[in-house]
Parts: sequence; structure tokens; C-alpha cells
Amino acid sequence: MRLNLSTVFAAGICASLAAPAAAQDILTVAQRQDPQNWDPVDTFLVAWGSVASNIYDGLVRRDENLDLQPGLAESWEVLDEGMRLRFKLREGVSFHNGEPFDAEAVKYTFDRLLGEVGGTGPQQSNYTTIDHVEIIDDYTVDFHMAQPDPVMLTKLAGYGAMIVPPDYIEEVGEEEFDMNPVGTGPFKFESYTQGAQVELSANEDYFDGVPEVDGLVFRFIREDATRLAELQSGAVDIMADVAFSAVPTIDSAGNLEIVSVPGPTIYSLALKTVEPAATADLRVRKALNMAIDKQALIDAFLAGRGQPIDSLQGELSFGYDPEMEGYAYDPEAARALLEEAGVPQGAEMTIDYRAGNSTFNEVAQALTGFFANVGLKVGLNPIEDGVFLNEIVPQGRTNEMYQFSWGGWTFDFDNTAYLSYHEGEKWNPYGTSEEMNALLEEQRNSTDQAEREEILQEIARLAHEEAYHIPLYNEETVYAVADGVEGFVPAPDKRLRLNSVSLSDQ
Amino acid sequence: MPVIGFIAKRGLQALFVLFVVTLFISFAIRLTGDPAVMMLRESANVSADDLARVREGLGLDRPFLVQYWDFVSGLFTGDLGNSFFRGPIAPIVTGALGATLLLAMTSLIVSLLISIPLGIYAARHRGSFGDQVIRVLSLAGLSFPNFWLGIMLILIFSVTLRWLPASGLTGPASLIMPAVTIGVILTATNLRIVRTTMLEVLSAQFIMVARAKGLSERSVIYKHALRNSSIALVTYLGLQFGTLMGGLVVVELVFNWPGMGTLAVEAISQRDYPILQTVISILAIMIVLVNLIVDLVYMALDPRIRLE
Repeated sequence: MRLNLSTVFAAGICASLAAPAAAQDILTVAQRQDPQNWDPVDTFLVAWGSVASNIYDGLVRRDENLDLQPGLAESWEVLDEGMRLRFKLREGVSFHNGEPFDAEAVKYTFDRLLGEVGGTGPQQSNYTTIDHVEIIDDYTVDFHMAQPDPVMLTKLAGYGAMIVPPDYIEEVGEEEFDMNPVGTGPFKFESYTQGAQVELSANEDYFDGVPEVDGLVFRFIREDATRLAELQSGAVDIMADVAFSAVPTIDSAGNLEIVSVPGPTIYSLALKTVEPAATADLRVRKALNMAIDKQALIDAFLAGRGQPIDSLQGELSFGYDPEMEGYAYDPEAARALLEEAGVPQGAEMTIDYRAGNSTFNEVAQALTGFFANVGLKVGLNPIEDGVFLNEIVPQGRTNEMYQFSWGGWTFDFDNTAYLSYHEGEKWNPYGTSEEMNALLEEQRNSTDQAEREEILQEIARLAHEEAYHIPLYNEETVYAVADGVEGFVPAPDKRLRLNSVSLSDQ
Repeated sequence: MPVIGFIAKRGLQALFVLFVVTLFISFAIRLTGDPAVMMLRESANVSADDLARVREGLGLDRPFLVQYWDFVSGLFTGDLGNSFFRGPIAPIVTGALGATLLLAMTSLIVSLLISIPLGIYAARHRGSFGDQVIRVLSLAGLSFPNFWLGIMLILIFSVTLRWLPASGLTGPASLIMPAVTIGVILTATNLRIVRTTMLEVLSAQFIMVARAKGLSERSVIYKHALRNSSIALVTYLGLQFGTLMGGLVVVELVFNWPGMGTLAVEAISQRDYPILQTVISILAIMIVLVNLIVDLVYMALDPRIRLE
């Protein structure tokens, strides 16, 4: 397509004159980010998951309690000590374009993900433990694994593993599929206006609960205040990505309700464990841990919507140990430890953190107050996201403390622990220990979930003893819902499935 | 044909400016971070091989000059290539440019409709109560940060009164608040310029002559005085255009306007080089073009001005 001024003007004017569709029972959701591309292999965005969970299905589905439920597969078995997964597929399901769903579609999906098309996207690296998919019969497939992957079933419930229609993609091509996706999910894709919204309509033939509403609109509104205004003005029914600072305003409005669940994202400060940083001394790292009142941070900046954590995971995570005790808030003990370690009163340290997250900005300010209370002069160094992720952390160019926040999408501690503690990982620029590396590898090679859970708890304990981080809190995922919306159940992983939500007369 | 020669000369200058801008942008943006890392930032277990594979897929493994040439030749042929994240660029940028121009033009019209009559009134009734009120209001307009004004308008007209949509580009009604937000800021300065230059022109001898000839007051003001005082306004509007585009970025974000500003902000946060290069180049082309147009308008306004 060529650029010329007349099309430009025409585009602007047409867009401005197109009247909003008048229709009943359209559920409107506002979220911050526009996923921009609807192909499962091309995305890594949580924002994609909340929209596309309505368009696609995986072989399995993770419900709001994070339990795995049948999706396009009715049942599955783990065979050959984890080297083979067999799926029995659901019969009689069609893609939105009428194309039948069968073993061929499953094989195509994973050949594509693991092949050239997937190679240019961010999803392939999550699925490389799959060697190949074999068709047994029309409705049975075997996944042959390159190595056992205990988390694979969970991964099959999201993102790159969403089943795509082979004939459609071959017919229209990759570029067209990016912008006009077809799946088997409860809603069909209708239209997408970049930077503005995506419209979906109910799939009346859906195998797992025909949607209550006729259509679904996701609007992408970057500004928190504007998104809230749309909710308050009645143009939006469900608002995602609610800023914690807005919670009291919404709570006090008579016609809006806050709904929240524990989410995947944890916040912590990682500590530089190498000289010449003072934090190379274990006593100093422990003292910093004792200097923080986590609950106070949650009450002040998260409107109470979070839980304090002692390892880099929330209580929903596989590997979470309810018995584990963290460092209690004890400024006295912290001061004593610092003195013992020879850190003078007024010693200077710096926190590097990602600018642009207003909540964490405030938290960082408060952290300096807690550190001042134990005699440390801590400065703040906000850094732009790209620079922080590219230049500062992986190159080991941080100051004594740096932000580590992560939403392990699998809700399995393996995800977060491996990239934080294993040698050579991006988020582990200063190294941990041989013992830690061995534990991380051991649990990866095991398919015995009970054994894995024990090892993951051991990893968390070891990390705690070495105080590699100051774990702070696990954020809740907060939604604001308008009066008249019924049956909305938020998902901890932010994958919204909205087929059971209805709108009552308002 | 001096006009054609002039345009040709200015066109060459514009090409040079464009060359420098695109080269600088393409080079500078590549210093700010690796899109492959941004793309894989949420994936665990990213290996060097994964990064290399993604870079190759995005064409980032090619020499800089090859990538630059691809981009610049694309600008001329209209084949702008693909975004790193979302398919072909041309329709994305066309849509965003349309939305931005629509907003910019409407704001400009809003501002001229207010500032010209009020400026003339203030000049003709210098020192009067009305003049004082206008001057205070224009000072107030200058003092608002425009995003604040935007948020206030949303609170009043969308949240409280529910008359207008709070955001997006959904119909003529959605244009009102963003256009007024920018229009008010433009009005504040335009009004001062109209008033000052009118005052100057009204005391000039040719106005006295016009009046002495017995021309109607309307004809004196609109045909003689306004035309002569508009040269300053037009110059100012030309200079203001760059600032206007900058201001649009913030206002677009507040109103979730699907324009070039919103697009640029997203492209920066994702290191989407192809989109960002294109957006910035188009803005640069527009600023160069607007200034060329301003020069041509001078000639129409005052035939004594010779093009050099």
C-alpha cells in the first residue's frame, strides 16, 4: 500500500464519521495494552492472553483455580517416563471458519511453532522440549519429547500452544493471519482497529459453554486516568489493569466494584553479590532484608491488594512453601548486623529500578526511608525499561540493589527460580552456587511432581539463606467492574474467559 | 518561473534535511537497545541462539547501511516494509497520520475561529474592559498544561455530564474534547499575536488613507488591516507546527487518540525500529513541507515579498 495524502485524509475522516455500532449485550473491557498481533507464535504479552483466550483454545485449559481442565483434548496420559504425552482429542469441533479440528491441526500448530515461522517469534523458546508431534489417528496425537518437561502440560494451556487452523493459514498467508485470526474459542474475531479496539462476536457452536453476551469489545487505553474515566462514564463494563492508587476512588463509587485475585507478579530487589558492593557480604544482605516492613508497603501503595513474600513466588505458585519463614522486620537487628559487617552509619547505596511503573516508583521512595531508618543513605536510579533490560542487568552493571519483578506465567517456581539463580541466566549476572545450579537442573529432569515440589522448596530455602534478593510482595490482579455485569470471575493469570459473563438491564 | 525555481531549491534542501534526519534516527535508535531482547524479555530460558535467531528473522543481523538503505528507499517507493511486531507498516502509519492530521487541523481551525475575531476586538478596543478580559483569559490559556486541561474536560463532560466519549476516535463527538484542548493552547498565543500586530497595523498610514477614502470600517479591518497583520500570524503558525506536533503526543495519550504520538510512544517502548523511523521521518517531512507552504503563502499575502 502506498501513502498518499488523499487516502490519509479519507482514512481520518471515515474513521471519525463511522458511528459506534448500536447493539445489545455487548460486553466492553478496557485494558492498557494493545497486543498488536493475534498470532499465538508472535506474542509474549499478558494483554494478548486476556483477549486471545476468548478466540483460541489449547489442548488443555487452566481454570481460575489454576487447575488443568480438558480443552481441545478430552484426556491425556504421560507415557515413557515423561518422554511421550498422548492426547485424545475432542471430536466434532470446528474452527470459526468451518474448518474441522483434528489431529492434523495439532500437528500443524506445533510444526509451525517449532519451525521457521515460530523461529522469528518469542514463543518458540518456551516449547523446545517438544521434539515432534505424531498423528496416531484422526483424534489421537503423541507428543515426543526431546527431554521430560514437567511444566509442559501447563504451557500447553497458553500462548504459543493455542491450536491454529492449517487450511486457513495456508490459504490466506501468515501476514493476513496476524491480523485476522481464526480459532476454536468461545468468541469469533470480527475486526481490529490498531491502537483502539478489537471486536469479537459470540461463537454459537462453542463446545464448552455458548457465550451469554452477543459480542465482546476490548478497548486499549494506555492512560490509567482515561481508562478509569471510560469506566466511570459507563462506556466500559470491565476495567483491567486498575492502578492501585485508583482503588479507593472506585471503592467509594456506588456503581463500581473492585474484584481482585492473587496474581503471578512478584516484586523484589535483587542484590549485587560481588565485590566491591557492600552487599557482597551476606550479613549486609540479611540486614537489608530485615530493614523492610513489607506489609506497610502493601497497605500504603497497593491499597492492601497484595501479600508479603519470603521467596520469589506467591502462594499460588507450585513450589511455594507455607512453612518457610522469612526475615522478620527488625530494624534493631538490621543495624546490629550492619555494624558487625563494618558498614558505617551513613554508608551510601543505590537502587536501580525500571522507571515508568508509578506504583513501584512510590515503593522505591518508601524503601529509601526504611533503609535510612537503619542508617543507610540509599539513592534512587530510575532507568528506562529497554536500557535496564538490555544494558544494565544482563551485563552486571547494576548498583547494590536492583528491581526484579517477574510474573512467571506457568505459576511454577521453576520458571522464576531458573532464570534468577542458574548460572548464565540474564537475571543472574553475579552467579549463585554450584549447589543451586545442581538443584535447579535436578528438578527439571524429574517428572515426579512431589519430588519436584520438594526440590523447589529447597531452592527457595537456599536462596533465602543466601539472601540473594529482598522479596517484597506478590501483587493482586485488580479489576473494576460496573453494575450490571454478572458472573465475572477474574483469573490469576489474567487470561479472561468471558463466555459465562452476562449483562443485566441497568 | 521564480516560483518553480524556488520550490526546486527548497525541495533539494528538504531532501538534505530528510537525509540527515533519517540517518541520525536510524543510527541513534539502534544504540538504545536490542528489539530481540525486548521481544524475548518475558520468556524464560532465552539462549544466545534464540536471540540470534530472532535478530536474523527481523533482519537485524545485516549491516547498518543495508538496513538504512532498505528503509530510505522504502520511503520513496512507498513500500515501508513490516513492523517488528505487527505486519505491514503502511496501513498502520496511514491510519495514525490521518487521525493526527484530523486532530491538528480541527484544533487549528478552532483556534483561528476564536483568536482572529477576539484579537481584532481587543486591538480595536484597546484598554477597554473587554480587552482586559481577553488578555487575562489568554494568559490563563497559556498557563494550563494541556494534558491537565484534557483530564479536566474528561471529568466534566464524560464522567459527570456523560455528554462526550472520554477517549478514542469513534465519531465526530470524540473529536471535540481533544480539539478544544489543543485549540485552547494555540488560541492563547495566536490571540496575542493577532492583537499586537493589529494594533501596529491600525496605526499605520495606509489605514488612515483607507479610512480617508471613505471605505467602510468592515472593509478597512478585514481587507486591509487583517491581511497585512496576518503575515506575522502565518509565520508564527509555521513555527508553531513543530511544537503543535510535540504537544499532540501528550494530548493523544490522554484521549487515547490513535495517532502518530501514541504510535511513536508504543514503538519506542518496544524498540520497533521500522515504525519509529517512519513516524519520525514523516513528521520531519511534514515540518519541512509546512515551512515551504508558509513561504508560498507570504507571497500571496504580500506580493512585495520576493522569493529567494
